[in-house]
Amino acid sequence: MSHRFVPVGWTRSKILYDAALLGGVAAYLVAYVRLAPLLGATPLDDQSLRMRAFGSGAFLLLTLALAIGPLARLDPRFLPLLYNRRHLGVVTCLLALAHAAEVLGWHFAFSPTPGAVALLTTEPGALPFIAFGLLALCVLILLAATSHDFWLAFLGPGLWKGLHQLIYLAYAAVVAHLAFGRLQDPGALPLALLLGLAVCALLALHLIAASREARVDADIAPPAPVAPWLIAGRAAAIPEGRALVVRPPGGEKVAIFRHEGRLSAVSHLCAHQHGPLGEGQVLDGCITCPWHGYQYRLEDGRSPPPFTERIATYRLRLVGGWIWLDPRANPPGTHVPALVLP
Amino acid sequence: MGWAARPPAHLRAFLRRLALGLPLMLLGLGLILGLAPQDPAGPRFATGGAPLPSLPMPEPGVTGVLTLRPYPLLHVGEGGGMRTLLLAGDGKQRPPGDLSVLDGQRVTAEGFLLSRGDIAMLVLGAPPRALGGATPPAREALGRWRITGEICDGKCAADGMRPGIGIAHRACAALCLDGGIPAVFVSQAPLLGHAYLLLAGPDGGPMDAALRPLIGRRVTLEGRVERLGRLLIFHAEPPG
Repeated sequence: MSHRFVPVGWTRSKILYDAALLGGVAAYLVAYVRLAPLLGATPLDDQSLRMRAFGSGAFLLLTLALAIGPLARLDPRFLPLLYNRRHLGVVTCLLALAHAAEVLGWHFAFSPTPGAVALLTTEPGALPFIAFGLLALCVLILLAATSHDFWLAFLGPGLWKGLHQLIYLAYAAVVAHLAFGRLQDPGALPLALLLGLAVCALLALHLIAASREARVDADIAPPAPVAPWLIAGRAAAIPEGRALVVRPPGGEKVAIFRHEGRLSAVSHLCAHQHGPLGEGQVLDGCITCPWHGYQYRLEDGRSPPPFTERIATYRLRLVGGWIWLDPRANPPGTHVPALVLP
Repeated sequence: MGWAARPPAHLRAFLRRLALGLPLMLLGLGLILGLAPQDPAGPRFATGGAPLPSLPMPEPGVTGVLTLRPYPLLHVGEGGGMRTLLLAGDGKQRPPGDLSVLDGQRVTAEGFLLSRGDIAMLVLGAPPRALGGATPPAREALGRWRITGEICDGKCAADGMRPGIGIAHRACAALCLDGGIPAVFVSQAPLLGHAYLLLAGPDGGPMDAALRPLIGRRVTLEGRVERLGRLLIFHAEPPG
């Protein structure tokens, strides 16, 4: 959480996550650069081999990073992968930088033309694959450099999240970089198949997750007989420690939590990265975000000291076993007495 | 959850499978992509031409007749055994020194040799030394041809890089040609037994500048072809 900023707040889970990630990257590079030539791959020069291994590795990790979001929406078992996705993004950026360094040190070296000039002048014709690669690299560097809670706090969750949506632009640029470049050469069929498979799988995952989200969003809470109250649902339907997510007409979603015989309503959006608080649970007496573990008190939507995050709270009523919700959000951190269940 | 000190019990087995499965999946993908045919200049492009004669390298150097059109070339040997070496300097640069005074002269040159298929390049470390006058080898006209293939630089195509051709190598080829490395045309199908042709302009000089945007792409060009010893020279005209 946000008491103070450290380069990386290491936990046992993060160490294991990074170990699996780095082990996977090392296995990929060793298989590509060392094992495949031993097993009879066409001999390439070392620089070209590393260039391809780093570039294709960055593409695979970027695909994985983009798949984690919808996977976690569709199956909560993938949520732990979401938590440390920033490290995956930074490793992807490092692989892309290694790819660019190999290209600059081989294809753009040994020439009297400066590298920067060569980048802009050596792509004659109609297929500008270098430009797409440069665009993707610039976006990846920007996103990796801002993948820290300092930047999240500095820019605010909305702007930070908007900035990091550029990852989709980077992915499109990488696909164009490959399609207009390497895939134009003979012998690129396996890479073409992998690219097609990855893009189709990613699109399918996003479409399925978006379709499920749209179905939930279409379920708008009906008005109660007394304005401005809405009928949120049956109190008995909310399990202990969990939430009922309600969508007011034209407003942000609200999460109504049940804890020790009381109901409390807060914003569904976490103040950290707009994670789905209503899909979290009450741990240690606090609402806990499923994405990164940010916590908020039930009665006022404030993070426990020394943390300072706040989210909006809402008023509730209980009428004949039905929960009524006042959809007008209180200012973040406003104390609202919990609704005691009979 | 990821933020918990230990993952919940019901997720541990699933996360263990993921932690083992991800590296294994990446290992498999690395092998598949690494083993895939990767060099577009593989056997298909190395079929033509005669074997390179044994050259006394690097001592005491190579002796032959130097000509400058369409590029600096060194013709080694005589008659049917003559072999023409493309000349280049270090890196992506033309041969060192002012060669204009050596045109048509017998010279001795030192450097290192690159070869692939039926082209060979001598990369010079120092300007050749003149030995005296000589008669440049004769050329034989082979008529007009329409050939499909790729424009590349003679250094990378001659095994300076692997792969030394292809779209991904386009920028490198453009820099090499800008630096004065002789251009070659890598034919899709061998032409009279040759997969690599020296690419010249219609006027007998270097490749026409209008062809620069076509570097690295699969193109069909037309022009006259000449035989110079064991080397074919393709005088390609800019398309349409």
